[in-house]
Amino acid sequence: MNLGIENLFGRGPALRREIERERGMLCRMAYAWCHDAALADDLAQMAVEKALRAAGQLRDPDKLKAWMLQILSNCLKDHLRDKRDLVDFESVEETLATGEPTPEEARAGAELVRSVRAAVAALPVGQRQVVTLVDLEECTYAEAGDILEIPVGTVMSRLCRARRALRDALEPVAREALGTRLRSVK
Amino acid sequence: MSEERKVSEEILGAFVDGQLAAAEWAEVAALVEADAGLREEVCRLRALKERMRFAYALPARARAPRRAAHPGWAGLAAASVLFAVAGWFGHAEWSRPPLLDSASAYALRGDWHSLRGDWGALEGGRVLVHVSTAGRDSLSGALDEVEDLLREAGRDRRSLEVEIVANGPGLDLFRADDKVFAQRLASLRRDYPALSLVACRQTMERRRARGEPVELAPDVALAPSALHEVVERLRAGWVYVRV
Repeated sequence: MNLGIENLFGRGPALRREIERERGMLCRMAYAWCHDAALADDLAQMAVEKALRAAGQLRDPDKLKAWMLQILSNCLKDHLRDKRDLVDFESVEETLATGEPTPEEARAGAELVRSVRAAVAALPVGQRQVVTLVDLEECTYAEAGDILEIPVGTVMSRLCRARRALRDALEPVAREALGTRLRSVK
Repeated sequence: MSEERKVSEEILGAFVDGQLAAAEWAEVAALVEADAGLREEVCRLRALKERMRFAYALPARARAPRRAAHPGWAGLAAASVLFAVAGWFGHAEWSRPPLLDSASAYALRGDWHSLRGDWGALEGGRVLVHVSTAGRDSLSGALDEVEDLLREAGRDRRSLEVEIVANGPGLDLFRADDKVFAQRLASLRRDYPALSLVACRQTMERRRARGEPVELAPDVALAPSALHEVVERLRAGWVYVRV
């Protein structure tokens, strides 16, 4: 294992670039966790900075993404601890409901996006993290467990509860929004 | 219903997420195949996953840096095509006598990783690669995988047919005016005659209607629709991989 040497000499700059490159992914995931674009930006920034400082600790470069998501999750945890209960659903609802629609959002599909995000926002934070890691980043259950520092069994049960709640909240909406398009595609 | 569940919700979720080991996966696939209620649930879980991806494909608003362009109608169309594929798995064809032999059963899992890991289990290699998402990285990644599969098959003297079918934003792969992809496809076709390329006519027509007609690279055939092609191929026992 010459990872230490590689770190000091060859791998450093390349790794830093790769860390920077994950910023967009982190930002999207942070947004899916907190539904507050400004906070998501800050969390992603914090995670990138921490990762850059700690780059030497990454043993397996293939695990970069999971490692950065774990840092991001810890950033969120710190943030929640500082703010006590800060998963402030009122403000989430507000952003979702009253934020001026961008031209894109005025289009079809916006309603679906809004309803999915509202349903995700209404999940307990632990469930929200699991379901977004698995569905958006296609993390394996083991990766999600490592990232969130919980056992795989807990990943599975949270995922299950999250999906049950999402389906209860969403299935009527989807039928309305996509029903006609679906038929036209068939 | 919950009393006589044959597969727990958690396991069914793991099945849909591609998280089961091969043996367990096959066991669940067989149960799903035989049970209309489970098929319905698999279909709904898949649809939910698609909706999640769709909902967060947009960049976050406010200060977040803007990333890829909004998928817009094309994205929505792709999403609905996927819904329709899910619907197809869930209903129409599922209600026929079992379609799934050990090879085409991979259709349900449909990812490169499992395909490669279990390659030895496949008889008569025929692989349908369905490309329906945008993004140069994923498109060129798909070509890399296809090339690897074909090269390995050639090296091991296994017969292997691969067809790439593209629709929605994935159709960009076949644009004649995209020099990089066009050259790559031409050289793949030259090296591997067993590779064929098929575009979705509906996507072509939709783009034309939007005033963005697409000129296809040479050698790309047209199917009435990507779905039609997928259904036909699966019936014939092809392995399905979605990109």
